[in-house]
Amino acid sequence: MASASLNLISGATLISQGAEAKVYKARLTSEPSDPAVLLKHRFRKGYRHPTLDGSLTRARVAGEARALLKCLRAGVNVPGLRMVDAVEGVLGIEWIDGQSVRKLLPGGAGEDEDGASEDDPEDADSLNEYDIPVDILMQLIGQEIAKMHLADVIHGDLTTSNMMLRHPSSFKSRHPTLSTELVLIDFGLSFHSSLIEDKAVDLYVLERAFSSTHPDSEPLFASVLTAYEQRMGKDWTAIGRRLDDVRLRGRKRSMVG
Amino acid sequence: MPGRVRQIPLKNPDRPYLAIGLEGSANKFGAGVIRHREDGSTVVLSNIRHTYITPPGEGFQPRDTALHHREWALKIINECLVKANVSMHDVDCICFTKGPGMGAPLQSVALVARTLSLLFDKPLIGVNHCVGHIEMGREVTGAQNPVVLYVSGGNTQVIAYSRQCYRIFGETLDIAVGNCLDRFARVIDLSNDPAPGYNIEQEAKKGKRLLTLPYATKGMDVSFSGILTAVEAYTFDKRFRADGQPRNPDDQDIITPADLCFSLQETIYAMLVEITERAMAHIGSKEILIVGGVGCNERLQEMMSIMAKEREGKVFAMDESFCIDNGIMIAQAGLLSFRMGFETPLSKSTTTQR
Repeated sequence: MASASLNLISGATLISQGAEAKVYKARLTSEPSDPAVLLKHRFRKGYRHPTLDGSLTRARVAGEARALLKCLRAGVNVPGLRMVDAVEGVLGIEWIDGQSVRKLLPGGAGEDEDGASEDDPEDADSLNEYDIPVDILMQLIGQEIAKMHLADVIHGDLTTSNMMLRHPSSFKSRHPTLSTELVLIDFGLSFHSSLIEDKAVDLYVLERAFSSTHPDSEPLFASVLTAYEQRMGKDWTAIGRRLDDVRLRGRKRSMVG
Repeated sequence: MPGRVRQIPLKNPDRPYLAIGLEGSANKFGAGVIRHREDGSTVVLSNIRHTYITPPGEGFQPRDTALHHREWALKIINECLVKANVSMHDVDCICFTKGPGMGAPLQSVALVARTLSLLFDKPLIGVNHCVGHIEMGREVTGAQNPVVLYVSGGNTQVIAYSRQCYRIFGETLDIAVGNCLDRFARVIDLSNDPAPGYNIEQEAKKGKRLLTLPYATKGMDVSFSGILTAVEAYTFDKRFRADGQPRNPDDQDIITPADLCFSLQETIYAMLVEITERAMAHIGSKEILIVGGVGCNERLQEMMSIMAKEREGKVFAMDESFCIDNGIMIAQAGLLSFRMGFETPLSKSTTTQR
């Protein structure tokens, strides 16, 4: 009856429930030395017609796995792929020890949420612990996105919650001065495209995420763009121009009147 | 668990306040009178609406809609005052829709509001249509700090309150969901009475076959124009039977208008529920409020409550008298801002389509 992947999930610990998937921490084998994996289960959505739900889930799991592979080959920092079960909607990826960038930046820790008071010891992580100045962090973000775009992968949901810093205690950096590494996660909405348009929209999504989660973050995003620009080289001119166009779009972004 | 309870800066009124609201941003003209009592409670004294209905296959043009509003405005306002048993002299402020909406209808209603304001020497309050929907929704349902799905003929937005502002988290990139439904109703010649979307909903109940349509969510945004094209294309498919009947007993592989309505509803509502869920996960809220004309759709409400149950959340939805554009919501939002000390001077009483 229950498939192997569902068995795996039944023995795993639920970490969180995102918008479309439940996230678990599990081990693929019973070997205690086996490193943990993160299981992302796109569970059945009761509200969706079963046919529609099935085809969407299959397409999304397969798409996410494909994008991760493409990034890994291109040397973008993303979690490694461990297992794929498109029919059940289960994706297994490398477990990353660390913290999301959102929680490390001012405003992201939960001023907008009700979780501000319940201080998890894990949430108490600060940038000091990662030994990284904010502008270096912004540079890393810009570089990683540029690497991904050079590989023609569009993330589709760039936010500060979808970026993680590896915790220095569990990570051996090859970099002389940095003890951490920025990892892009959650490729659930990603797709393959070489269009300037898609890359510009990707950046615009991040810009909006910055301004909606982190107050007064314009200079932060500006330094992300500068690093992106350097890494993209000659491709930047067209993307930058398109980004200006995209900003003027949106129908009623500012609710005035 | 509801999201963080919003701090309300507004104190209970020292005396009862009365406001009249005029709405006419699309094909409905509405007027309503609302009273805020000293104990903080709110009474709807009257809520009257007249809809401009066009023949099947046609939409409403701005010019004709404005004509309709001009023709009905005074009758409806009178009726609304009589029903509320108040006189124009009693009201504290006159609230009107400033936008967004169709230019011509908005202007004709703003003109009425300005005239009344000068005649009776009452302050004018310009109200944002979307905020009107949200404030009335909060008032009727008691939702504290919900994620708002605002779905109507002209708007499709996921909105939440954050840092003293209603912010748009996701919206349509092209046409509104109601526009998509209305235009498809025209393609298959459904009646515009009482509303094209209502007739699609009834038709969809007879549909069985789920046809493949594009599924276009992009982050928290959605897009409907491609879906409209795709569903229209099915009406040119050789399996399509406009009357819904097989030509002979062997004619089984057919597509009926009901199937198309069913597929269209299933697809676009799944998209709307998905972006709402994304916004909920993003914000960490457990409450959902559905407002706007499409919000009366029972299938959308049903899908939303299944999603809410999966997340241990709660859905707040309303019936058509408050979902569909109405004057009372303008009165409610306007009176709230009036009590906060806001007024729109005559020289600023313009309208905006955006």
